[in-house]
Amino acid sequence: MQLLDRYLKNLAKLLPTGQREDIIRELSEDIQSEMEDKESELSRPLTEAEQLELLKRRGTPLQVAAGYSQNKGTLAFGPQLIGPVLFPFYARVLLFNLGLTFVIVGAIFAAIALSGQPIRLSELFSNILLQIAVQLAVVTTIFTLVERHLDSHSYSYKREEVQVEFVARIKQDILVRSTKPQEVSRFDSIAILVASSVALLWLQSLWAKPFLIFGPAASLIAFAPVWHRIYLSTVFIMLATIVRACINLAQPNWVHFRDVAAVVLDAAALAVIYVLMFAHTWVVPIDTSASGQHIATVVNQWTTIGIWASAVISLVQAIKDLIRLYKNWRWSGSNPL
Amino acid sequence: MANSQDNHNLFENLRLELRRGSLVLAVLACLRSEQYGYTLRKELADCGMEIEEGTLYPLLRRLESQGLLLSEWREADKRNKRFYRLSPLGSEVLEQLLAEWKSIDSSLNEIVKG
Repeated sequence: MQLLDRYLKNLAKLLPTGQREDIIRELSEDIQSEMEDKESELSRPLTEAEQLELLKRRGTPLQVAAGYSQNKGTLAFGPQLIGPVLFPFYARVLLFNLGLTFVIVGAIFAAIALSGQPIRLSELFSNILLQIAVQLAVVTTIFTLVERHLDSHSYSYKREEVQVEFVARIKQDILVRSTKPQEVSRFDSIAILVASSVALLWLQSLWAKPFLIFGPAASLIAFAPVWHRIYLSTVFIMLATIVRACINLAQPNWVHFRDVAAVVLDAAALAVIYVLMFAHTWVVPIDTSASGQHIATVVNQWTTIGIWASAVISLVQAIKDLIRLYKNWRWSGSNPL
Repeated sequence: MANSQDNHNLFENLRLELRRGSLVLAVLACLRSEQYGYTLRKELADCGMEIEEGTLYPLLRRLESQGLLLSEWREADKRNKRFYRLSPLGSEVLEQLLAEWKSIDSSLNEIVKG
């Protein structure tokens, strides 16, 4: 029942929190009943392959969880841009990006308020609207392209079938991960591709228009020189991550390539964060006015927390990737075929 | 070739739409006697109304949250199972739906006869 337990564990992660336990109990009971029926039909216990087949027929954890989701949204302006399979991810990415941006913008406005500068409501409102518009446009464009990609590869199949196949393939590793590092999940590759593309576009926009992040404080503060030092390396890491995800999307069986590339990119990201951590100054006042200096001080204090948090997250990720590399390498060493 | 595939897809979509509407009626009717999910699914399949687990269980939850079904966890065959049955409101709604279905059926028969 190890396979069933893993299936249910992965499904549980995707279910609404309030109903999770109840749904899992019920589905577990249903699956066990079906397995028992099959066993009595065959007069023998089911093999692991048969169990896997039975679980696959029920759908991937993602598909099953989607049935319980209250959110069955799609995005359409005339033609449908984002279908129901991708929509929950789209909504999550958008919410995450907007949340993160609002925290940063909130910190900037708090710094302005603390420095005694007046904040006009119209300024705050227009800044928030601008953030929403930019994020919405970037994230929607990327997800629409992914959706189009699915459409253009549908060939003679219906789009729903392609999506089901897509989800089944990207989630296949959930079912078999602990037995064999078979394939790089397509879902992971697409998630990384989307996240890195959004991050890269966002970085470029901020670089060109600091107003997007500093809001009205852009006339008082600017990026410190340390950002200029790490800019190219950061762009390179993001591009390399995108290329890596594209390669694994085309070649999901290049597991070792994914493992090695992830560790190398983690190391590069940690080196960039290391440079940032010890810069101590991340924004500088544009002029010598007291308010500019005060805003820069407050923003620098907030940024310290943000950079330390990023360092911890990146370190944990690097350790996880190292462990994965070691495990997969050891598995291939002991199973050359 | 592509045209025949399109026609098939169109028919499939319409067929699914038609069935989707009648599933609620079938589930409510089956639950006039208490059952748990797996036996309900089998009964529906035996009557030619196959339904995937991924459709049935969310549907049961929705009907319960609408007050049409009642459920309780109870031990049967040495395992805990969730038994569903029609609520008084569910019985009332089922009667109304059945009357509606009969009326649609006779109207359709008239129309089809031409």
